[in-house]
Amino acid sequence: MSKRIWQHPELPADETTVSWRGVGQLENTPEFREWLEREFPRGAAEMADSEDAETSRRSFLKLMGASTALAGFGMAACRRPESHILPYAKAPEWVIPGKATYYASSFPRARGATPLVVTSFEGRPTKLGPNSLHPDQEGTDSFAQASVLDLYSPSRSTTVMHGGKPAKRADFDAVFAGLAKDGAAKIGLVFGHDDSPTRARLLKEIKGKFASSKAYAYEALEGEAVGLFGDGVRMVADFKVADRIVALDCDFAGTDFVGPVTPFFDRRKPEGKAYDKKADAASMNRLYAVETAFSITGGMADHRLRVKPSQVFAVAAALLAALGDTTSVAGAPAADDKTKEWVATLAKDLTAHRGRSMVVVGSRLPKAVHLVAALINARLDAIGEGKPLQAVATEATGLGSLTDLIADLNSGAIEHVMFFTPSNPAYDAPSDAGFATALAKAKTSIHFGPRRDATAHACTWHVPASHYLESWSDTRTATGAYTIVQPMILPLYADCAAELEVLSALLDPEGKLVTGEGEAGAPSPAMLAVRKTFEALAGTTVEAWKKLLRDGFLAGSKYAAATLSPTTDLATAVTALPKPGELEIVFATDHSVYDGRWIDNGWLQEAPDPLSKVSWDNVALIAPKTAQELGLYDETPTLETKTAAISEDGEGQNRKARIVAIKVGGTEMRIAVQIGFGQAEGTLYVPLGYGQGFNADDELGRETTNEAHVGQVGVNTGFNAYPLRTLAAGYYAALDGKPQDTDVRYSIACVQEHHSMYGRALAREISTVEDKKKGDFAHQLAGVKKQGMDSHMPPNVSLYKSVDPKGQPLLSDTVHQWGMAIDLSACSGCNACLVACQAENNIPIVGKQQLAKGREMHWIRMDRYFAQQKEDKDGDYLAMVPQPVACVQCEAAPCETVCPVNATVHTEDGLNAMAYNRCIGTRYCANNCPYKARRFNFFDYNKRNPLVADNLYWGPLGETQVGTAPHLQRNPNVSVRMRGVMEKCTYCVQRLKDARIRQKRRQKVESLGTGDSLAVTMDDEKLRIAVDSVKVACQEACPSEAISFGNLLDGEQSRMGRAKALERNYDLLNYIGTRPRTSYIARVKNPNPDMPDVKYVGKATIHMH
Amino acid sequence: MVCTLARPAGEPFLGGKDPPLVKNFTSSARPTLSNVFPTVMANFFPRWTNVLPFKIAICALSLAGGVVAAFTYYATPKTLVVGYQPAQPIPFSHRIHVEQVGLDCRYCHSFVDVAGHSNVPTSNTCWNCHQHVQKDSPKLQPLRDRMNEKHPDYGKPIEWVRIHKTPDYVYFNHAAHVNRGISCQSCHGRVDQMEVVYQDQNLSMGWCLECHREPEKHLRPLEEVYNLAYDPEKFLAENSIEGVKTTEDLGKKLKEQWQVKPPVSCAACHH
Repeated sequence: MSKRIWQHPELPADETTVSWRGVGQLENTPEFREWLEREFPRGAAEMADSEDAETSRRSFLKLMGASTALAGFGMAACRRPESHILPYAKAPEWVIPGKATYYASSFPRARGATPLVVTSFEGRPTKLGPNSLHPDQEGTDSFAQASVLDLYSPSRSTTVMHGGKPAKRADFDAVFAGLAKDGAAKIGLVFGHDDSPTRARLLKEIKGKFASSKAYAYEALEGEAVGLFGDGVRMVADFKVADRIVALDCDFAGTDFVGPVTPFFDRRKPEGKAYDKKADAASMNRLYAVETAFSITGGMADHRLRVKPSQVFAVAAALLAALGDTTSVAGAPAADDKTKEWVATLAKDLTAHRGRSMVVVGSRLPKAVHLVAALINARLDAIGEGKPLQAVATEATGLGSLTDLIADLNSGAIEHVMFFTPSNPAYDAPSDAGFATALAKAKTSIHFGPRRDATAHACTWHVPASHYLESWSDTRTATGAYTIVQPMILPLYADCAAELEVLSALLDPEGKLVTGEGEAGAPSPAMLAVRKTFEALAGTTVEAWKKLLRDGFLAGSKYAAATLSPTTDLATAVTALPKPGELEIVFATDHSVYDGRWIDNGWLQEAPDPLSKVSWDNVALIAPKTAQELGLYDETPTLETKTAAISEDGEGQNRKARIVAIKVGGTEMRIAVQIGFGQAEGTLYVPLGYGQGFNADDELGRETTNEAHVGQVGVNTGFNAYPLRTLAAGYYAALDGKPQDTDVRYSIACVQEHHSMYGRALAREISTVEDKKKGDFAHQLAGVKKQGMDSHMPPNVSLYKSVDPKGQPLLSDTVHQWGMAIDLSACSGCNACLVACQAENNIPIVGKQQLAKGREMHWIRMDRYFAQQKEDKDGDYLAMVPQPVACVQCEAAPCETVCPVNATVHTEDGLNAMAYNRCIGTRYCANNCPYKARRFNFFDYNKRNPLVADNLYWGPLGETQVGTAPHLQRNPNVSVRMRGVMEKCTYCVQRLKDARIRQKRRQKVESLGTGDSLAVTMDDEKLRIAVDSVKVACQEACPSEAISFGNLLDGEQSRMGRAKALERNYDLLNYIGTRPRTSYIARVKNPNPDMPDVKYVGKATIHMH
Repeated sequence: MVCTLARPAGEPFLGGKDPPLVKNFTSSARPTLSNVFPTVMANFFPRWTNVLPFKIAICALSLAGGVVAAFTYYATPKTLVVGYQPAQPIPFSHRIHVEQVGLDCRYCHSFVDVAGHSNVPTSNTCWNCHQHVQKDSPKLQPLRDRMNEKHPDYGKPIEWVRIHKTPDYVYFNHAAHVNRGISCQSCHGRVDQMEVVYQDQNLSMGWCLECHREPEKHLRPLEEVYNLAYDPEKFLAENSIEGVKTTEDLGKKLKEQWQVKPPVSCAACHH
């Protein structure tokens, strides 16, 4: 088969949708097309500079000659190196060398733990997956997936610090024992917002022992709703029963968890979550989103209104008024006519679904919005048993806030303070809270944390905290199911202490801090404490305890219902609203570092932001029109051209963003800006959590005083926006004046144009509402396969017959043929799959410098498209469409035909396999891949530290991988690839193989059971694994169950088989004839036919030219 | 060479003094090396040197060929690793344990049919017997040290020298093989008769593929997988099976009956 070059035709004139990824593409210059047509960005395949490139061949030969000569001296190395097998001295129970063990645990976090199953190899936890026994939630998010890396992080704190200098744990123990023995000590304990029954129980005992002790809860981005409706009362959403959902700046599918999110996505699939029903628009839910900038939830919305953050309250008030309550909110700012019409139609829809509709509010919005939303929800009868919202009473009661702590420290009511919070108050507390001065007044301040962050340095003592995979605890999910946190491994570093161990030690008469394991193998005091709590809940039987450890949760446990008793009245809350301004800034929660706590996690840092597609930094997003008005748009990145010298601005490694100076309340910060589409005009969207420390390598030469606060991953990343945040304006604020361009430019690693595909109808979208041109829902469903090129291309015809002369199918493996289907209707683009894949397949991070060149190694590329209807002139109703693309395992794979060494070939079961050890790195395959799904190891990212500037270019002289433990996270069943090797998704072939071997083993047990293995016959049915019994890493991690995977030979018994049989199912670039095994399922929007913007919804089919 | 070709064609070389190759020196002709010393150059290389380059080339080629052939033949797993027999920290004799004591492979390698990795026994496994048997043998001193709570080596693993090793990029699964009728013996040889274990087979990729293409040559009844003394002919003599006359018939029958289709694509072992 010769290489076929496809000339994608121009977009037909009557196409109403304009789609793009970034500014450059929207402008659509010829240079941009040239960019698209390369499989790697320019520069990706070149030497560091042009001089290198000139001499590279010669120097290569020189080097080769020298090394061949040297090889002569090294003949001794030809002797076989002696390696050893080290068996256990005493075999631990359940551990089988070479076989993974799985334990249930959970990841504690504010607003509900994530139940997990941890994969461990010989005691090393390597991979986290969701606990499928748990009824609440499928999948995990990217933070949970990446949390395993923190256990082995080279930036992890390993030893005790005193006054910022390394100290001995024994010295700390002595100080601690002194505190614990003094019943009069005024101790303050600061926790996170996660709920732990054992902590709550121990706190009561501590209160008994230390009468003047106090407990607080603090997490930087938990917002104002905490405690608003009563001490420990929280609202939990149940999406199962929610037909109509209004999200008021609430990214519930992303960073703003309000309840298990899987049921929401179940109802985005018109055929039901198992794809076993006839497509029914009525079974779908409808999501209205009111927000400032696109969130991943907003991207899913059927109707989306973009408003300034200060306007969210006005919209909420207008909605309340439209629902009939015009008296509760006095003096609400009036909404404009367009908004009023939008809200009025929305109110009708909500009223029509009374009892099955709800309003969810972003947790960080001001109290006034929460109070108004509570009134709306009461009117909609949304709260209560069996209703979409429940008010629950958590055990996190009696906890003070950060302001209380500061007041108590200042007044001397608290003299000794211990921080267990995952946040970093010395860095992320509101700037006017006075945290630093208050902390300085404490006699003893002890920070327990995984990183030596700003708070660790500000406290007198820092003690490394055990990771949650190293310690005992318990916690509760969003609905209050009691779940266990059990250790997989003893703390890697002897100094580590866990929260419950410290609390137990406070209660110990001697104040002895026992961490990890008790003396002579006695159980950890934390475990004893947890068990005691559990026994009070479920009895003292060993069986119950064992069941808890096995299942990970206590079946049937949940929070008690609470009544809402607001602690603030609405009028006061309204006066406390931050002042609106001409330009407003939103302090957003970041998708990679959250509030800054994940800044040293390489996987999260490298995962591109779902909206801006920027890795390793935060950028201020600004709407295009506002940018034009402010004079920040005119210089759109000029793209490099083939002939001209590479210009300073551009894509790839030359992408530079302008730095602007912005001022809020007199405080100035400088930050890079980028155009944000679909964002409200007059707003600046700034993610928090970056800029924690810089060193001498910083591009902007910033102050290096905080260098010690971050590790190698987080240093020199992004801009710190926390100084602009105040107690009164923690979520948004009015900008002083206008952003000023500083003429400084800053390199940005943005992946939005890397490995970008082109072609027609890549992501397809339809609507449940009748359209003049496209017909009704049934017609649109039937038309999915005919969108784009497929409308006028003849069907693909294979020259090869699929059956032999006897009519038997020509399959080399008649037992398994793997396939996948990805439902765009449920994909929100949250990156969970991308990080899960990285954890499962030993994918390295490459660092900002390499990533900017387009050398990222992620096997899953999360494409994010914007689409605008031509009629929608102002771009008020843009659509954001995420589409994950990994290798689609073509049956007629273009990559295979061009590999000169047959390193990529087909397997019997239909995978497009990659033999890394055979690959010689010609990259022809990547060149020929229409999906651009292949990744090349330009350097030995696993052996050379990519985070040190220019380190990779030093080759063997460079610094090797840092830290003592990163290799421990590796999956032993996947090769660690080296330099010069191509790699890509292979459907987690190691998991498939494991499943097949398990099935064969089962057959063997049966055969031997008959007593005569010779008499046993096996057939395909017996050798086939059970239907849908194997899950690939991305599928497992997906919280929306958008990915179905299975055996094509199972037919429609398999969820994947049913998905592929849907009308919505289509093949990506079908007209090329590659016959991909991964197919996509078109996105369905379920708009309200009466809404003014309905004509713009459900048409975001993406064409890339 | 240049000079000999400069001789007028057809004129025989008579030996001795060359006929003068007269050149007209004109003032306009610039003297060059060849026209100043024509005869000297002609005598510089004897005639046999004409074929010297060919001879050198042939020598070099055959030398290179020889090196390649020797390398191909000797520098392969077949010659480099077969027979590798390192000394072990404890001179453990498989022969004594299997032939005399009668242990099954799986007493020590207990997870071979469960996991991909065939485990080497823990010190505890050895100690089960050796706390009672051969209590004073000096050979077992390393084991006793590791089980003696007062000894500095207590609890440390015994460092067995690895003999059978596949490269890092090869995924080999023991369970997949022994559960489908491939015996330990097919890859490890008659370990039951080894006083000191050595590598019996070369474990090269070609060797793997030989069997993956023709598994019938190695398949045996599941009951006989761990019986290293299994003799197919004896087995057939004792158990008459319909339609099976030769050992190969037996293999074919098992392959057919159990649907043994070993994969030969790359991803079978490399991922």
